[in-house]
Amino acid sequence: MLEQIARVMVWLCVGEIAARSGLLPLPAPVIGLILLYAELAVRRKLPADLGALADRVLQFLGMLFVPAGVGVIAYLDIFKTEALPILAAVIGGTAMTLFVTMVVANRLGTAVARREVREADRIEGAIRDVNL
Amino acid sequence: MSTFSQLTNLTWASLADKPVLETGATVLAFLAATRLSRLGSGHPLLNPTLLAIILVSLGLEATNIPYETYLRGADAIHFMLGPAVVLLAVPLFRQRAVVRASLRLIVVGLAVGLPVGILSAVGIAWMLGASSRTILSLAPKSVTAGIAVGISEQIGGLQTLTVVLVIMTGITGAVLGPIIARLARIEDPRVVGLTMGIASHGIGTARALQINEIAGAFSGLGMSLNGVLTAILLPLVCGLL
Repeated sequence: MLEQIARVMVWLCVGEIAARSGLLPLPAPVIGLILLYAELAVRRKLPADLGALADRVLQFLGMLFVPAGVGVIAYLDIFKTEALPILAAVIGGTAMTLFVTMVVANRLGTAVARREVREADRIEGAIRDVNL
Repeated sequence: MSTFSQLTNLTWASLADKPVLETGATVLAFLAATRLSRLGSGHPLLNPTLLAIILVSLGLEATNIPYETYLRGADAIHFMLGPAVVLLAVPLFRQRAVVRASLRLIVVGLAVGLPVGILSAVGIAWMLGASSRTILSLAPKSVTAGIAVGISEQIGGLQTLTVVLVIMTGITGAVLGPIIARLARIEDPRVVGLTMGIASHGIGTARALQINEIAGAFSGLGMSLNGVLTAILLPLVCGLL
């Protein structure tokens, strides 16, 4: 387990160096994510305790945003004058994004896969018919 | 200071000036929020992150502890975000076969979600008469905070305001994502996860992980790709306008 914690910290540190040196215009954790994925892809194998560590930590990912969220409440008065447009844009905009993206992605993005599934069903059905 | 006294200091230092209270309160609040959410059989409005934020804020109001004191203390928990985001590579790696088979879905999701995410917020704010600085701060609201701050600065927004808007967007997406999926009758965890990651970054991903690992993997992917692409495209488009 310690080895896996070290692995995560090393990639995070490399990410931090890459981010600070301006090598990549991305935050360190995102670079670390890409690097860890690349390492796993090269190894073609997920160490069992890295999987266990990820499962444990990601289970309470939501908790890690609590301090930042509490900070937001402390800053609420910075948009006192524009509360309505901001709230409408955040809530309305996010709802619209979720709805439009889900519907379009579901229609267009999974159409091919579904046609393939139907095709597979049809072929399977045909084979069954022949066998009967 | 001798090594010995440094060592005793390290071992016996009073807990009073260490962030035990803030960290402990955050963990307890999230634990209580998780229980409450389970009591309500995981209703989307009972989002544990949102509930815990409310609980901690109420606690701070009641005890008159300033936000700054709390935030300094809770930094230990905030720090954990870095390693946790790196660990999102694990569900993504486990689901790589599904991801590879869903390239079309990922491309369509991003092609729709990225522009709609920006334009819907910018459009609504503009129609309701927000200042241009507020509109620019809103533009990267769906992107993970670390990237959004950089974009905001580049295009002339206000960084502090952007951070606040990013977190509000994340919580909104985490709460509304499952509700809208049910309304639109979409059950494919790939679609729901990817969309929640694109629309509401890490906080949406935390919620998507509660659905199942496929939703979590696609959400982490949506968050990362949306972040990277928005960082490239938004300043470019703003430069052209």
